[in-house]
Amino acid sequence: MPLADALSFLPGLATAAAEPAEDAAALRRLAEWCGRYSPWTAPDGVDGVRIEITGSAHLWGGERALAADLKTRLDRRGVIGRVAVADTIGAAWATARFAEAGDSAVIVPPGEVRAALASLPVEALRLDPTTAQGLRRVGLKQVGELYAMPRDALARRFGETVAQRLDQALDDLPEPLSPLGEVPTRRVRLSFAEPFTEPADLMLAAERLIADLVQRLAQEGTGARRLDLAFHRVDGRVERIRLGTARPSRDPRHLASLFKERLDTVDPGLGIEDMILAALAVEPLPPQQIGLPGHAAGNETRGIAQLLDRLGNRLGLDALSRLEARASHIPERASVRVPVALPSPASLRSAPSPASLRSAPSPALRERGDPAQRAGWVRGYLKPPRPIRLFDPPEPLEAFWLLPDDPPFRFTWRRRRHRVTRADGPERIAEEWWRPEGSGAVDAIRDYYRVEDEEGRRFWLFRAGLHGGEHAPRWFVHGVFS
Amino acid sequence: MVDAARTLLPELRERIRRIERPAATAHGVLPFGVAAIDLTLPGGGLARGALHEILGAGGDEEDGALAAAFVAGIIGRLTIQPTSPSQSLTRLGPSLSPLKGGEGLKISFPLPPRAGGRRPTGDGVVLWCLPRLDLYGPGLAAHGLDPGQVVLVRAPRDAEILWAMEEGLRAPAIVAVVGEVGSLPAVASRRLQLAAERSGITAFLLRRWRDGGQAARERALPNAAVTRWRIAALPSQPPRGEPGGGSPRWRVELLRCRGGEPACWEMEVPDATDHVSLAAALADRPAAPRSAQKFRRAG
Repeated sequence: MPLADALSFLPGLATAAAEPAEDAAALRRLAEWCGRYSPWTAPDGVDGVRIEITGSAHLWGGERALAADLKTRLDRRGVIGRVAVADTIGAAWATARFAEAGDSAVIVPPGEVRAALASLPVEALRLDPTTAQGLRRVGLKQVGELYAMPRDALARRFGETVAQRLDQALDDLPEPLSPLGEVPTRRVRLSFAEPFTEPADLMLAAERLIADLVQRLAQEGTGARRLDLAFHRVDGRVERIRLGTARPSRDPRHLASLFKERLDTVDPGLGIEDMILAALAVEPLPPQQIGLPGHAAGNETRGIAQLLDRLGNRLGLDALSRLEARASHIPERASVRVPVALPSPASLRSAPSPASLRSAPSPALRERGDPAQRAGWVRGYLKPPRPIRLFDPPEPLEAFWLLPDDPPFRFTWRRRRHRVTRADGPERIAEEWWRPEGSGAVDAIRDYYRVEDEEGRRFWLFRAGLHGGEHAPRWFVHGVFS
Repeated sequence: MVDAARTLLPELRERIRRIERPAATAHGVLPFGVAAIDLTLPGGGLARGALHEILGAGGDEEDGALAAAFVAGIIGRLTIQPTSPSQSLTRLGPSLSPLKGGEGLKISFPLPPRAGGRRPTGDGVVLWCLPRLDLYGPGLAAHGLDPGQVVLVRAPRDAEILWAMEEGLRAPAIVAVVGEVGSLPAVASRRLQLAAERSGITAFLLRRWRDGGQAARERALPNAAVTRWRIAALPSQPPRGEPGGGSPRWRVELLRCRGGEPACWEMEVPDATDHVSLAAALADRPAAPRSAQKFRRAG
């Protein structure tokens, strides 16, 4: 009904602009909040939330108790809603919206979906209005009347959706539920009778959760790589701390210290009533001999990993890198940065045995002894000399030179003027022709010069492009020598 | 009475000094292998488990290339087991050879014995915290530091770099911690020095200043580092009649040194693979004052 019509029927009708984006965000928050019942939650359309409670209902004392708890909490938050539990998503959707059950939750017992749906209108099959109207026109008003119809006839007459929706509701066709977030493999949860806000209390609770999780990880022989700690606030918002570790870890003190550093980012609002700690990714971590205090040999490798975790979780894991030699003549490709957390190729080739895990200090160190790596660096620093600082990208400069192949006699870089007193070169480095960007480009050829200014500072300049081409050659400073 | 005062007073002074500041060389020293330098430093070398500050000079104050090379050369040799001050000079005695042209002495510091013809690899991790990722692996390797040992930590702000350095100084299996910072509060330097003393890890602060104003401000501020060095480039002196540049030459100034005297040396640093770092002192002037103007500009 258009707004003008409605206002003519009822003058003084309160109106508000529709805010679909806001509604969607609120629904998403609600779905996230439902994470307290199960990790598998997702918003459903514009007005529903799906929760997969298989395997988690018993924690609440059965489906009926869980539904009652959900209803009570929704009421308390002022959310008007109806709760239904059924074997399939389609059946739950239908009974939540169309079943005559007053205010209480609808529980469809296992295997009784057909009976429960039979008397519901066809709209309960999640059909668009036109299709539903078409069904009604031929006298098919209730879902039960479709049971006997041959599926191909239905499909011919009303399209694939009717048959598909019917099959999905009756569990003849699987319907996957894609969860909102990642589904953790291990999860521990702590609820509080009395919400609290003190950071110290939060930390205590986090430590208890970590202890629980670590115990489970130890039984399985795994260590956590990525963790998620969710704080469910009284007002329904969910605050999260997510962090990763460089190596699988199940050291409670280490994990606690990682969370502690980020705890000040959590806004507890009026109070936290639930905390859920989930391991999003785990990796095998066999039991290890812990070094004796004072004999640090066994503890060193863990020390490095823990240091990298602390740094990475505060500065971002991409802030940590190490250098690796590559076989390339292009200066910026001869030394590349790789993330420290990346497992080295050597460790991927052979499955890690407990012994190798124990002796391998960290990926960064494992690589170091690799003869190929060493040879790469040796090749890199043998003549001609290479600078200690390399600018990426190279910085443009203003140069003056006499003859086409001469180094500049004067150049201006960063608003400072340098007079060249000595120069070595040119060393010609051409783009690698087998790369797409290397073939035929104007700047594909670089002539490098080592120049020294009157102060004695030494720079690595290059001229991109050749004389006589359509573009004038450009000069850059690529690095500074020691 | 007079005799007692004569013997007692120095003894008391020594005791008070020891209470006030623990010996900077408690974790041993790393000799440079160049007698002129090692004799100037207390204990006969660079103190391990301490904070050292390295400054650039002129335009290099912004890039810190020489400072990085200086530090890389030192760290490359840090894996040698700590030696007690008395042993250091005899164990790693330099080999002396006269320089062509008769100007001073060429002092070269040979590498530890090679294993299988290849440069020995270092052990442990070097944490290098910097705001801009401009450190180049082959350049580090040329100065004797295995780039595979280095873990780069990029942090945009000075406070974060100082924090990362302090974290690194508490961790085991770290050989050295390097940080490139612009501004350095005195408290932060004190914390770093204490952390280094406690763990025995050697820490290096490379100062990089964006502009002259900041440089002038920061240069005057005191801090808790045990030594303060300034490395300046000197024009190279290629052999007569040869075109191009010669081996790089540095002026290494020891501006401040706890328990030692300031000094200044000029050195030649060969690019060849045979030598690790500071290789030749062309003219050593151990008793030189701070002012740099007195030096003849070579080249």
